[in-house]
Amino acid sequence: MDPTRQLLDQILLEVGIAAYVTGALVLFGYFLTRRPLLRAIGMPLAIVGAVSQFAELGARWWMTGVWPLTNLYGSLSLFSACAVTIFVVFAYRYQIDFIGGPVLALAAIALGYATTWNEGYMPAVPALQSYWIKIHVPIVITAYASFMVAFCLSLIFLVKAAAENHYRRPSAGMRAVAAGAASGANFDVALSAYVAPPTFGNIRTDTPALEAAAADGDATARWFASLPSLAKLDVMQYRVIAVGLPLLSLGIITGAMWAKEAWGAYWQWDPKETAALLSWIVYAAYMHLHTRPEWRGTRTSVISVIGFASIVFCYLGVNIWISGLHSYKM
Amino acid sequence: MEARSGNGLAGTAPAVPPLRVAWDDLVRLFAHVPFGVSLLATWGLLTLIGVIVEQGKDPSFYGGAYAPPIARLILRLDLDNIYHSAAYIGIIGLILCSMAAATFTKVIPRRIPRLNPVKIDAIPLHATVHVAGDAQTARERIAAFFAARGWQVRKREFGGTEWTFADKNNWARRGVLVAHLGFVLIAAGTTIYWAKGYSGQFAVLSGQTATIPENGTTVALKRFAYRIDPVQTKAGTVYQPIDYVSDATVTGRDGVAHDAVIRVNHPYDANGTLIYQATYGFAIDFGLTKDGRPIPGPDHPLKEGEGFAIDGTSRAIQYQRFVGTIDRATGQPGADPRPNDPGVVIQAFDGDRPVGGALIPLGQPVDLGAGYKLDAARYVLYSGFQYRYDPGIPVVGLGALVLLAGLCISFYFLPARLFVQVRDAAGGGAEVGIAATTVRGYEVFEERFAEIIEAVRLTEPAAPQTEVTTTPALGSVV
Repeated sequence: MDPTRQLLDQILLEVGIAAYVTGALVLFGYFLTRRPLLRAIGMPLAIVGAVSQFAELGARWWMTGVWPLTNLYGSLSLFSACAVTIFVVFAYRYQIDFIGGPVLALAAIALGYATTWNEGYMPAVPALQSYWIKIHVPIVITAYASFMVAFCLSLIFLVKAAAENHYRRPSAGMRAVAAGAASGANFDVALSAYVAPPTFGNIRTDTPALEAAAADGDATARWFASLPSLAKLDVMQYRVIAVGLPLLSLGIITGAMWAKEAWGAYWQWDPKETAALLSWIVYAAYMHLHTRPEWRGTRTSVISVIGFASIVFCYLGVNIWISGLHSYKM
Repeated sequence: MEARSGNGLAGTAPAVPPLRVAWDDLVRLFAHVPFGVSLLATWGLLTLIGVIVEQGKDPSFYGGAYAPPIARLILRLDLDNIYHSAAYIGIIGLILCSMAAATFTKVIPRRIPRLNPVKIDAIPLHATVHVAGDAQTARERIAAFFAARGWQVRKREFGGTEWTFADKNNWARRGVLVAHLGFVLIAAGTTIYWAKGYSGQFAVLSGQTATIPENGTTVALKRFAYRIDPVQTKAGTVYQPIDYVSDATVTGRDGVAHDAVIRVNHPYDANGTLIYQATYGFAIDFGLTKDGRPIPGPDHPLKEGEGFAIDGTSRAIQYQRFVGTIDRATGQPGADPRPNDPGVVIQAFDGDRPVGGALIPLGQPVDLGAGYKLDAARYVLYSGFQYRYDPGIPVVGLGALVLLAGLCISFYFLPARLFVQVRDAAGGGAEVGIAATTVRGYEVFEERFAEIIEAVRLTEPAAPQTEVTTTPALGSVV
């Protein structure tokens, strides 16, 4: 391998990691302070990181003639690049810049972990020498990446909902007065208020306790209140998952078609296949429950978090720890 | 149960048969979304168990891999073969029942709703715009406004009040049905395979012929070749398989022989039965002597995992695996799988009890004791194939496409309905009340609704005192 080309590969990789780490710090700063300047710096860093990663994968392909997604390094690289790209697109379309910190931090972690699997330039084993690898793998990885973005939105939803619950608790004095009255002070934040006649006279105000505390000068409450409404966060999650689930479905279908061509059966109950099915089931449950107003909100956000945990299990757990047709372990 | 009939006479409703009540309760239960989701959760849990617990292994494997109570639990509950267990198949059946019940009792009636009047103010997404002109002309203008923007406009009269309904992406209300139809097609295609298809596997030694029993197709393996390259990585040299290829002659039911080159990812189609390159291995010709004289041993080259009994003893020899290169320095298997300095790993048994194992270089007889000597004389490459005839594939493929289409329709085309009521305003002009509903709640349509109201306001000639009132959610649209 030409050392100059290897150097190019290395430089692009390091630019990607540096851009993600710096971008994550800057966008976390934006998340905490809402200073537009930090967003103006962080978003270009996110774009630089994603572009350099795509360029690095392209450079690998160009240098070796081998499709770069034949190992965990390549797929994790694509995963982080896709996650950041999806974040940037959604940030542009739906103003979700505030999750840039966690998204870029996770992308940096994924890319850093990927480098531990970078064995160099390996030719593909016979099973991977198929045009399907250029179709199936990017689709599945893009689905995983969109679920990661949805996961970040879900976390922020849950944190804001928890803050609302916290501020809804009566004060100590109020608690003393209310002692004995089974008031159920800590109640779950669901979005049913959007469908039922607005409880608080304003359908956008789904965190009235936070906003009341913010109006009283509570700095923490003011910060939480400045996040998008819970309903908005829920819709954003839904939209990102609505990108991921069809892609995951398409990924499972293309994987089945490839398996049919390579091994003679489109479904073999391989751990990877079944783990992907498991993730699909979780997100299908999310979609079904999201049709129910009383389930929309905290519960669907929890399912989104569970869904991403199942994706991590499917993506890394199965590949690394469980033997099967997709196993990376030796 | 008391009921009042249409003619005002009180009467007793006909008794509903208990069976009918039970059936209705059952259908209601299965159509209940949380129940369906609980079935999905159970399916997911069983699938997770199947991922974690190795499937289809010998019972002794679980005894070695897990603590005895867990191993017993796995075997007793059929968790070692969970995907074919009654519980797993049953849960899928229940999910299909739940889908059917929900489709016919909830999805169809709710997805294609009738045109009914509503209380505009009670719908969270609503707005009122005051426009110029009388109600009749304003109604016509509003209808033309929505029709020009691609909305399907319909007018109805309820109790003397005229209503205008505008629908967008009404066709997409069927998306959920389309997605579920995809599942039905996939299930149908799979059933066709179970009913009419077949599959199996076989291995053929170079120079030999195998027959597919279901259709009589023969596969004569002329030659099997592989390519394994040493690749320098950061961790050292690894031996990477690059290619496996079988050069064969395939004779189908028509009796015509065809040359076939079968590779991984490139199956050969023999009259609709696909033959796949699956695996390969090294079969070994074993020779056995006692006191220097040949005695009966295996009558054919053994593949990995096969064995033979030693006549006149309780002992047996199993050929476990082929070693391409023996590291002469250590006497252990080397990293290079290519047969440079090959050997075989064998295991000796006394009855069912393992009594010892050894790595034997090829062509170098090893003493088994009591005068017996075993010689792994030579290896013969064999090729392992899978075959499958699956007439259900086109239906499964169609089902997959329909499923994807249904998902895309459901997720990317939002059916929305606007309820428009135009009345003469007390102070002159007309009052246009507009409310919106979608199949996915209100928040998802809030921005679009605000744009629509803004467009109505800008397009319509304003009443002398223009006023727009909205819910606080649309406070920016003033």
